Amino acid sequence: MTDDLKRIFLEACVLIAFGALFGLTVNHQLVLDAFAGRLVPQRPEVNADQVLQQDIPLALPMPVLLDEVQQLVTDGGLVVDARTPELFAAGHIEGAVSLPLADIDESLPGFIARIDKDRVVVTYCSGFGCPDSFDLGMRLIEEGYSDVRVFEGGYPEWRDAGLAIAEENQ
Amino acid sequence: MNRIQWLFYHLLRLSLALVFVYAGAVKIQDAVAFASHVAAYQVLPYAMNYLVAATLPYVEFLAGVLLLLNVRVRPALVVIGSMTMIFMAALVSVLLRGLDIDCGCFDPAGGQDVSAGMALLRDVGLMVLVVLTWWLRSVLMAGSAQRET
Repeated sequence: MTDDLKRIFLEACVLIAFGALFGLTVNHQLVLDAFAGRLVPQRPEVNADQVLQQDIPLALPMPVLLDEVQQLVTDGGLVVDARTPELFAAGHIEGAVSLPLADIDESLPGFIARIDKDRVVVTYCSGFGCPDSFDLGMRLIEEGYSDVRVFEGGYPEWRDAGLAIAEENQ
Repeated sequence: MNRIQWLFYHLLRLSLALVFVYAGAVKIQDAVAFASHVAAYQVLPYAMNYLVAATLPYVEFLAGVLLLLNVRVRPALVVIGSMTMIFMAALVSVLLRGLDIDCGCFDPAGGQDVSAGMALLRDVGLMVLVVLTWWLRSVLMAGSAQRET
């Protein structure tokens, strides 16, 4: 019985090792980027023509955690709210600027004129399940912003953590 | 083992197999989105979220496939049971800290918001299935051994 259990646990370990090894083989670049701190991984194998023809993004906005957002803001990063102006007015992360994805074509030129493209930008919306922050991040990367990150916990996580919020339009 | 137990065993095995093959497959398709869900639990350092997102779905998928094929069933159940218990511990930690997050269990790309409480209840149900399947498998193997002797 004990030998039987030992064999079962050994086989379970082999199963985990095999699955993990396969996952690492497939996703090695993502893991290397994460451990190397390359938060916006470039895809050198994709050239600009392919991007235009096949709509392949050059880079992805990388997710960041709550404490990383706080650090980025302290270090001069800009927090950008992708929600509607009404939600922004009702409550937003203190210091954030509003750039609603729904009105992106109208508001983006003004944003580009004000915000340097080398500045770290952190987008957020209404938390997990809300894709606007990621979509806005993609758009900003397409517009040439070099370091775009997504705070997927968004306004709910920030508010629930008791961090500074503002309710007036900025 | 009687016919009802035999039928029940295969029903449970296939149910667990489909759950974990599906859970693994949807996460494999979007590792970055799954990493953000892992990050939302706020239990791992930044880069480790990506390591988990890169590997865990493949382990889930492989364990599900073994159950589906009725091969190495008990090692697969050990893996699935261990992962489910780890998920449950993480979800309890989320509830204790009052975090409002989607569990990211099945659809990391969004569209299926499941609260930590609901996910925990689901995991309890999965653990019951794992234990029952293990027990029925043991009964099935004991029956086979008796017939051979």
